[in-house]
Amino acid sequence: MNGLPDQAYAAALAGLDRMTVARLGVLLAHLTPAEAYAVAAGQMRPCGLVARLFDADGLAAAWRASAAQRAPSRIWQQCCDHDITVLIRGYPGYPAPLVEDPMPAAVLFVRGDVDRIVGRRAGIIGTRNATGSGRETATTLGRDLSAVGVHVVSGLARGIDGCAHRGALSVSDGAGPVAVVASGLDVVYPREHARLWQEVAERGLLVSEAPPGTPPEAYRFPLRNRILAAFSEVLVVVESRASGGSLITVNEAREREVLVMAVPGALRNRAAEGTNALVRDGCPVVMDATDVLVGLGLDTRRAGGVAYDPRPQPRGHDAQLLELLGEPSTLDQLALISGMTLVESAMAVARLESAGWLQQVNGWFERVGRVR
Amino acid sequence: MLAAISSATLLGVEGHRVVVEVHVSSALPSFTIVGLPDEVCREARDRVRAAVLSSGFSWPSKRVTINLAPSSERKVGAGLDLAMAVGILVADDIISAEAVAGFGFVGELGLDGSLRPVAGIAPMVAALGAVHPVVPVASRHEAEVISEQRVFVGRTLRDVVDALKGDAPWPTPPVEAVVDDTVMVPDLADVRGQPLARQALEVAAAGGHHVLFVGPPGSGKTMLAQRMPGLLPPLAPQVSLVATMVHSAAGVRLPAAALITRAPFRAPHHTSSIVALVGGGTASLRPGEISLAHGGVLFLDELGEFSPAVLDGLRQPLEEGVVRVARARASATLPAQFLLVAATNPCPCGGGAPGSCECDDGARARYLRRLSGPLLDRFDLRVPVHRPEVDELLVGHSGEPSAVVAARVALARDVAVQRSGSLNAAIPASLLDSLAPLDPAAQRLLRCELEHDRLTGRGYHRVRRVARTLADLDPAGDEVVREQHVAMALQFRVRLSPLLRGRVA
Repeated sequence: MNGLPDQAYAAALAGLDRMTVARLGVLLAHLTPAEAYAVAAGQMRPCGLVARLFDADGLAAAWRASAAQRAPSRIWQQCCDHDITVLIRGYPGYPAPLVEDPMPAAVLFVRGDVDRIVGRRAGIIGTRNATGSGRETATTLGRDLSAVGVHVVSGLARGIDGCAHRGALSVSDGAGPVAVVASGLDVVYPREHARLWQEVAERGLLVSEAPPGTPPEAYRFPLRNRILAAFSEVLVVVESRASGGSLITVNEAREREVLVMAVPGALRNRAAEGTNALVRDGCPVVMDATDVLVGLGLDTRRAGGVAYDPRPQPRGHDAQLLELLGEPSTLDQLALISGMTLVESAMAVARLESAGWLQQVNGWFERVGRVR
Repeated sequence: MLAAISSATLLGVEGHRVVVEVHVSSALPSFTIVGLPDEVCREARDRVRAAVLSSGFSWPSKRVTINLAPSSERKVGAGLDLAMAVGILVADDIISAEAVAGFGFVGELGLDGSLRPVAGIAPMVAALGAVHPVVPVASRHEAEVISEQRVFVGRTLRDVVDALKGDAPWPTPPVEAVVDDTVMVPDLADVRGQPLARQALEVAAAGGHHVLFVGPPGSGKTMLAQRMPGLLPPLAPQVSLVATMVHSAAGVRLPAAALITRAPFRAPHHTSSIVALVGGGTASLRPGEISLAHGGVLFLDELGEFSPAVLDGLRQPLEEGVVRVARARASATLPAQFLLVAATNPCPCGGGAPGSCECDDGARARYLRRLSGPLLDRFDLRVPVHRPEVDELLVGHSGEPSAVVAARVALARDVAVQRSGSLNAAIPASLLDSLAPLDPAAQRLLRCELEHDRLTGRGYHRVRRVARTLADLDPAGDEVVREQHVAMALQFRVRLSPLLRGRVA
């Protein structure tokens, strides 16, 4: 009509109040984006199947009001300002793994280059409240998979997600990570991941179903999880509670016949209750990146020696104590199981911590692995 | 026709001498009180009149004027009742003016003429000066603690008048047996397990370090805090006297012997208002909880649940050891030298081992933000407390009793006071190098902590003070602070959360 591309209308439609994945799908399946926008804004009469959408109570009024607020030209300007590409299902450039999805996203917003994602893809997900060892596992998996050319797909959340991305980015010429997020691509959430967010956009792909400016509302996370699951060929759960967002993703993955794998954890670790339950139910176990490669049907054994560990090897009491530190422990427990006095344990712990073998939060000590 | 009687009123924790002047003249019968009486004091009109009549005296049908001198200071409470009644009887020529010379009167009157105790007897008697105090029977010990003169008591106004006139001797109520109430203090032997927290208590008591217990609900933070007074030495005579005055002024029940000799323990609830904590609520500027804790322990459970204004109100007293309460009409300086013991959960759900917290990040950050900042910096010891294992609770042997620990604490306190003239918590940063020199291994350890950003400059000084106390408690310790002392002191600085990194020393 006035020279705006279809993408501009699609982007404006995606942000309307009370717009759902299904409604957007129906609109764009029967109309061009510009027509669909005109219908939603009340400038054109809907007909056929589309007209039945408007049977919903007050939807026509809500869309009209909302469309008045969201001029396609302004939304398009926002997309351009933030380097956001708009992908419409059925148009060239739309990611192949999502085309045949049971609940496909009609419009996707991405930052970065879709063409970069050419290799195999493995999802790594888990709880936000991860233990130190869970974070480490996620980082190591991310790094090792990226190094052999597997794209790491995750959600950029705190905890496991962030670590998986960090690990993937730590390999200078590795496969770029894919991050599927719930908020608009210009709304960084959580805020402390601003730099990570930027790096993923530069070296991999940031994907969201929400137009720019959308806050990270709670209901968007389960929807985000289905796209994450659809993007993955194998989904690795590193640490998950007995219930939580990760298990939603697991269900989405199973619906799409994506292989779900789990990293087992200590029995008494609450953060591993969900993953341990998955293992008990017969989920394949992941102990390192090779297991994931086998899951992907690749038999590329990673070559390379053991990385050099610059930390001074602990000796005597310190080595004993480190040996005993399986799951997170308090100083009282350490003294009890090692048979040392409180002062001896305190000294050992202080030495181990300054050498980088231990970390302490809230009075709990955890081992620190090689990868930071 | 004119009488002047000595009495006293209360402001903060200090008594102020008041002369009750009574003038009875022939005019239309009336009764007025002037000289800035407060509401309670003005109501004395009705109490005094009823008490005089009930005691079998006649009320002068003349014009009665009472002036409370100095008339520019505010008078509060019912403690002036007795002096007014005696004054009227003197002015009405029932008692001779000579008979009351050399006496001061403090006490509230009932309508039947009985004498009732009032809050603040001890400071008010102190303000009377070199006269014989006359007080209600129940206040006898309290007055005797402070008065250098012989204390006289009465059950009723009639008792007092008869004794003053020489018609009857002063009543001498039997001396009650003084109950030893030290047995009430809970003992450290009740605590099973928790070696780290027990040691923290010992260090806090020995060095005067404020301590914050961080741990999930049910880990025994409150139980530990309640054992703190049992580790502190008996109060020094001067402190004991001040503490007694404060308790008296606040109207808090005193021990049987009236003098407070054990360290007090005050545990205000987290809904307490700032006035309840800091003091100054009533016209007499009643001392608050922090003054009642003078010489002892102030325990704030659920520190994060206190209102931020209340916590801010603690900062000046923590710094100066006194709290200055000023109101439009009056101001008072109240003593407030206490050991602060606080307890908090690490997050709203209580937390526990890594990975078991159920709070979302926003809630956790909000919770910790209330704790962070200047107040958190005042705690030398931030001690992690964990739920003890079931085995420890059931079969664990109980640790040392309070008496054993208290003996070590007393020794360490003596050593510290002889060295620096104060407890270790008060060592200024500039003197740390001379009073708490570090051996090379200890220096290395601290340097490493600083380099890894695990310790700030202020935290560094706090660790050194705590290490000094640990060295004082160590039987093998000497003037040099060793590596094991520093290593142990570092265990008393729990890292609350990655969310607070850089915001807390």
